[in-house]
Amino acid sequence: MREIEEIIDQIDQLRPFSEVHNKIIEFSNNPNRSVADLVAVIKFDQGITANLLRICNSSYFGLRKKISSVKQAVAYLGIEKVENLVTMGNSADNFRRAQEGYDLREGDLWRYSVSSALIAQDLAEKRHLNNISLIFTSALLKDIGKVILHRYVKDSFEDINSAVQNEGLTFKEAEEKVIGIHHAELGAKVAEKWNFNPIMVGIIRNHHDPDKALHNDLSLPIIYLADSICMMIGIGVGSDGLAYRYYQDIIDRLHFSDIDVQKAMADFSGKLRGVEEMITLSGGS
Amino acid sequence: MEIVVGVGDMKVSNDPEIVLATYSLGSCIGLTIFDPLSKVGGILHYMLPESKIDSVKAKKNPYMFGDTGIPLLFKESYKLGANKNRLKVKVVGGAQILDQNGLFNIGKINYLILRKLFWKNNVMIDFEDVGGNVNRTLKLEINSGKTILKVSGVGSSII
Repeated sequence: MREIEEIIDQIDQLRPFSEVHNKIIEFSNNPNRSVADLVAVIKFDQGITANLLRICNSSYFGLRKKISSVKQAVAYLGIEKVENLVTMGNSADNFRRAQEGYDLREGDLWRYSVSSALIAQDLAEKRHLNNISLIFTSALLKDIGKVILHRYVKDSFEDINSAVQNEGLTFKEAEEKVIGIHHAELGAKVAEKWNFNPIMVGIIRNHHDPDKALHNDLSLPIIYLADSICMMIGIGVGSDGLAYRYYQDIIDRLHFSDIDVQKAMADFSGKLRGVEEMITLSGGS
Repeated sequence: MEIVVGVGDMKVSNDPEIVLATYSLGSCIGLTIFDPLSKVGGILHYMLPESKIDSVKAKKNPYMFGDTGIPLLFKESYKLGANKNRLKVKVVGGAQILDQNGLFNIGKINYLILRKLFWKNNVMIDFEDVGGNVNRTLKLEINSGKTILKVSGVGSSII
């Protein structure tokens, strides 16, 4: 148990969310917010605005006109997407390094995180959900636990892999069995320490266990489906591979057919070049 | 020189300096062909089984789908001098998430479409490593036909 405490203590080595970003996450939950509110929060941070405009002008969005202000960005993309891009610009530092234990090269985990957040955003829009910022941010940060746990996974990989191959455990279950804690639980502890709201903490904790979602909650199922799509396409996937459980009843709850899932994969893979540019611009690799 | 074959992409070459590589195959299939005499080889990395789900995308990028990508891989290799009867054919990928069954098991359906096309066109598979829940990387050296499979976390082997 001492080792688990030692692992949890390492949360302090991550770069926490800045005050500005915490404010954005907090106020993105307010349906009555305005562009002026967003501008007021970020106007004193030149870095955030510059980064935001760079990403808005990437080929991913394919906007014909060059975006030169936050107000203009909101006019073209909507306030939620702009908030999401600000959040993204702040998160690359923690994710971009190589995670050896998961056999992820530099930039891979960031690519995976950005991709699953963008897919979750697309799926949430298709289902007309009204909490897109929360879904995007939770999907983006859900694997933050891997950033700490990868060293321990590296040391115990043979035991973890043997539990996956021989005992039918998922990679996450095997992490818990061998190390004493899994990356989703560790990620939830990071989110708690950073004072994220309890819904986000819950999503991060249960992102591989969507059966724990309340029956009327579609946020966790959407993020779970986006994660599954990323694994199937193979974006930034490592040594844990696809060794997670599939919950057909959760996909059914979202009313996505097998063809809908294939179409979502085709749509996203068509955007991969734009995603690469976005990742580079956000400092990922 | 390494040339990366991305998701939904295909490359064929007869340049001995070239190593074709495709990374991170989840449910996608990585298919390599190589003619040892003409030293022509290629890799296709397709993501979905059938183009009928989106004919516009299939027209723009036929390599995204098995039914449109597989014939093109063979045709492009013939243009560079490959002979069908000499081709070494290797298939990897098609992994699945645990308990992913039926129509949602895209890895398995990706593999089945390939088997169906090969059956119709009388193509034999020389090596395959498909299914499971692992992440795979594939490389093909054009000068020798050496094909290397890396299973993430496990290691590399010549196939």
